[in-house]
Amino acid sequence: MEQEYAIEFNHVSKIYSLKSKDKKNANDKKFYALKDINFKIPKGEVVGILGTNGSGKSTMSIILAGISEVDEGEMIVRGEQALIAINTGLNNQLTGEENIDLKGALLGLNKKRIAEIKQMVIDFAEIGDFLYQPVKKYSSGMKSRLGFSINLALNPDILIVDEALSVGDKGFAKKCIDKMTELKEEGKTIVFISHSLPQVRDFCERAMWIEGGILLEYGDIDEVCDHYAEYVDHLNSLSKKDKKKELDEKFDKRIIPVQKKQGLFGKIFG
Amino acid sequence: MFKSAKYVLQENINNVYRIYSIAKYEILADMRDSNLGLFWNFAHPLIQVLTYWFAFGIVFNRKAITAHGLTVPFIAWLVGGMVVWFFISPCITNGCNAIFSKTNVITKMKFPVSILPATVVLKELFNHACLMVVVICMMMVFGYYPCLQWLELIYYCICACIFAISLSLTTSVLNMLARDVRKMVLACMRLLLYLTPILWEIGRIEESAPRIVVLIMKANPIYYIVQGYRDCFFYHKGFLFYHNSMIAFWVITIALFLFGSYMMYKFKHKFIDLI
Repeated sequence: MEQEYAIEFNHVSKIYSLKSKDKKNANDKKFYALKDINFKIPKGEVVGILGTNGSGKSTMSIILAGISEVDEGEMIVRGEQALIAINTGLNNQLTGEENIDLKGALLGLNKKRIAEIKQMVIDFAEIGDFLYQPVKKYSSGMKSRLGFSINLALNPDILIVDEALSVGDKGFAKKCIDKMTELKEEGKTIVFISHSLPQVRDFCERAMWIEGGILLEYGDIDEVCDHYAEYVDHLNSLSKKDKKKELDEKFDKRIIPVQKKQGLFGKIFG
Repeated sequence: MFKSAKYVLQENINNVYRIYSIAKYEILADMRDSNLGLFWNFAHPLIQVLTYWFAFGIVFNRKAITAHGLTVPFIAWLVGGMVVWFFISPCITNGCNAIFSKTNVITKMKFPVSILPATVVLKELFNHACLMVVVICMMMVFGYYPCLQWLELIYYCICACIFAISLSLTTSVLNMLARDVRKMVLACMRLLLYLTPILWEIGRIEESAPRIVVLIMKANPIYYIVQGYRDCFFYHKGFLFYHNSMIAFWVITIALFLFGSYMMYKFKHKFIDLI
């Protein structure tokens, strides 16, 4: 039997337009957030995505989650995907319990399902009597636990975790990793985006390294992590001037000259 | 165009529980914000009515309004129309911001954006229901008792909701394309209040103003609803009596809805890049 892929990227590019609002530096241009990305992730694999700041990781995550559309190429996703967004949809004025109802509804669960997951969320979040307190009284760790556990209740086939674990303390991170390992064993595909090399090394089987919007490497976890670590060290060892030069060069490569301006009416009817 | 209308309708119908929850918890969060909570839902419009009544009823000494062969005291007549304005006006201003105010949600999860105008309207509908309780009590004090004709209020209320949703669909998408739209809408709200015959009777300009102006005034969808509410409270002519306004109202509303859904459908995946 042929291997099944959960996610396929064929020549995917994402383009942002940069608009300068002040007249002084008025040069509108377009910019490749992601450029010609190709990869296939088999079902049930756990992939870590590495990259320095501004290399396109977050863009990748919203594209993977189906929130943003690709501009070029195509993305094929088999199964339901969900982005773990910890603090989204929590309302500070409402109590923990009401927030479970609200966020559950925002995520599109029906009433019955929310009632089902409630106990699980309460157990996982370990918030105890705070359940009936407004969320504004929560510590940030508590809030994260609550948000994270509601997200997990969605039970998607493909999980996208974007820097989600960097908010809580070690205990929280461990708890989440344990939970995700559980999901891994159930055969879910997980895409794990993080700055933390140790976490990625521990948890993932394979890794992807994005730099400057380009997919540099996709392969075995140790190999990619080593190369990435080397690169980060290399960047840090550079003097300020050289570093700036290198980053500027990388930036210039991503810019595409703008061809035509489109007015408001063009946008609506074009 | 019809495909997109179908898409928006379907998305709204499939997500009824989501709409209900969002509206419910937004109202709840609003109430938690203040100590008196629900009290303000009644007090705010009440104070506004008193303001207008003071300005027009006492300072300008406006006489009782006579229309359709019935004389109604100015304050009662004013309340009968203002109640619609207190519903429609926040629907328009908040509806315009419906998508933009939910930025943090639509950038972080897959979300049916087209239900957002409906959540805003549903939230305002709750405030409207609170206010209607007060208004009905006031009407009884003025000597207008509920009768069978008052049931038409439900029809006009549904009209108002559909109109508000259709308009918000359009303005909320336009507001994503250019944030100036909201500023313009906010600036024009007061103008709209005075252009709509709410604070003054249409009869006042019917003879003096050019015919075309009167026609435009009468085609104003908000006026159709205002007139409908007043008809239910005082005149009891039935909704077929205003058939010309009715046709104008539905034509405008359906056109707005089609255009709004077309825009919504076209930009459904683009919102995140427009923020």
